[in-house]
Amino acid sequence: MEPASLRVDSLGAPKLDPIVKAEDLWKVYRLGNVDVQALRGVQMEVQAGEFVTIMGPSGCGKSTLLYVVGGLTRASRGRVLLDGNDLAKMDDSGRTLLRRNKVGFVFQRFNLLPTLDARGNIAIAQHIHGNGFDPHRFDLVTRMLGLSERLHHRPAELSGGEQQRVAIARAIINEPKILLADEPTGNLDTKNSESVLKMLTRLNQQLGQTIILITHNPEVAAYAHRVLHMRDGQIVDGIPAD
Amino acid sequence: MMGQLVWRNALHRPLRTMVSVIAVGIEVALVLLVVGLTHGVLHEVGKRIEGIGADIMVQPPSSSVFLAFSGAPMPQSLGNRLAELPSVAAVTPVLLQLSSSSGLDIIYGIDPPSFQAVSQGFVYLQGHGLEKPDDVLVDDLYARAKHLRAGGTLHLFGHDFHVAGVVEHGKGARVFLPLTTLQQITGSPREASLFFVKCTAPGLTNVVMKEIGSLLPGYEVRPLQDYLSLMTPTSVPGLNTFVHSMIALAAAIGFLVIFLLMYMTIIERTREIGVLKSLGASKSYIVRALMGETMVVCAAGIVAGLLISYGGCLVMRDLFPTLTILITPGWILRAAALAIGAGLAGTGYPAWLASRKDPVEALAYE
Repeated sequence: MEPASLRVDSLGAPKLDPIVKAEDLWKVYRLGNVDVQALRGVQMEVQAGEFVTIMGPSGCGKSTLLYVVGGLTRASRGRVLLDGNDLAKMDDSGRTLLRRNKVGFVFQRFNLLPTLDARGNIAIAQHIHGNGFDPHRFDLVTRMLGLSERLHHRPAELSGGEQQRVAIARAIINEPKILLADEPTGNLDTKNSESVLKMLTRLNQQLGQTIILITHNPEVAAYAHRVLHMRDGQIVDGIPAD
Repeated sequence: MMGQLVWRNALHRPLRTMVSVIAVGIEVALVLLVVGLTHGVLHEVGKRIEGIGADIMVQPPSSSVFLAFSGAPMPQSLGNRLAELPSVAAVTPVLLQLSSSSGLDIIYGIDPPSFQAVSQGFVYLQGHGLEKPDDVLVDDLYARAKHLRAGGTLHLFGHDFHVAGVVEHGKGARVFLPLTTLQQITGSPREASLFFVKCTAPGLTNVVMKEIGSLLPGYEVRPLQDYLSLMTPTSVPGLNTFVHSMIALAAAIGFLVIFLLMYMTIIERTREIGVLKSLGASKSYIVRALMGETMVVCAAGIVAGLLISYGGCLVMRDLFPTLTILITPGWILRAAALAIGAGLAGTGYPAWLASRKDPVEALAYE
């Protein structure tokens, strides 16, 4: 896997490649006899360490964009570079390897494994990664997310906020290059939403975690450095949150 | 971690897992009991023949090793000619007759003095030997099965016989009548089905067999020390096919149950498979997780199968004391391998399906 390469700007200062770069990205789904264009020529760049939200109405292609960027599905046309790796040129096993090493996902519905406790749900990410259980990293992440006392509880015994924090812990346990969050507060009340968003902000500020978060809620979007607006499969603008 | 995932997944639906374990257990028990029964019966018959203590058995030409298939085509006087051979210590004629009066039993008609000379005699647990024409001897297992005691009555061939004694099992048949009585009943006066021959020394068996071969060319002359090795399913026409058919049926049960279990599992856990893929789990990881779950069910099923088999043996022994079920370590291993093989084969297609699931579709599955 190639790391981001070093370029210089017009003044000769080092300029890093964006950690995510989408060029003329298209994704077309076939539903019966109809082609649905979920992404229509998306252009996007995200720098390392940025916290970016993508905002748009339901059905505008936000989740599809996230899944293409994260290598869960392949683009129909165009290019996606993730930390210098062209996803379009990768087969399924290549994208799987990339996800394992460089991407963390957080979903709206938490998507924890119901048969494992919180500890197991986080540890399985390390197991899949192949480097075995790292107790130091495990303690750091669980303490940071306030989960130390809840590790032996199954998802059914955890609140929504706790489940989402377990999901975040699972997503970042292997120090991914990028964290992709699909409406992480969609199933949470206001208090838990705020708690989760503050944690994501802390991860970004303290650990430099690059985050792309998709939402339809402007209040959620306000936590990010930058907001991209999507409509009908296209990025329509990109304005700083402040 | 994989072990934890596999174990917890297997226990997630305890009733479904338990039903699958029982099904695999039935698969294992079916193999062990069918094979055990066929091998056991044959083995036990062979041991009883060997238990007579004779060195050689002489039968008419083209006779089956399975004595039940014999008639009574030899003149009893042949025994006298056999007894004249130099290295022969004793000869006893035996008349065989199948009885279906109460089950399927082989009845021996014996000449008590010569039978004693060849076999060193019976060990009496009750009563005494054959003294009168309507006396009958039974072994202890037969007596237990038919609730007989010395002094009781046994109805055979349309006649009531007096149970003169109960003897220790292991000497040829389970029921013994006087030779002349059985000859009368079967209309075979002065005839025998076979002769048991005792040599003056065990090392002379081959010499005596050659002499008998010269004396009675064409007759079946078998050394009894190897008799047990002849009592195998391959020696009985069709029995091997039956055993193999039952094994195939058992394997099919295991395959289908596991296939159904795993197919339902991957449908139920579609979203979880999507989650694992989103974490970067490879196809082989998904397959290994499912195969692991199958192994847990199969392992538990093998244990259940052994319990069912041994429990079945105890019940059978109680209900049918004369039946022997022989469960050997070799067949336990084969039955276990069959259960695991059928289970893994049943998991193959569902596991392949699961590994190929589109992660986005899987994550969206309700």
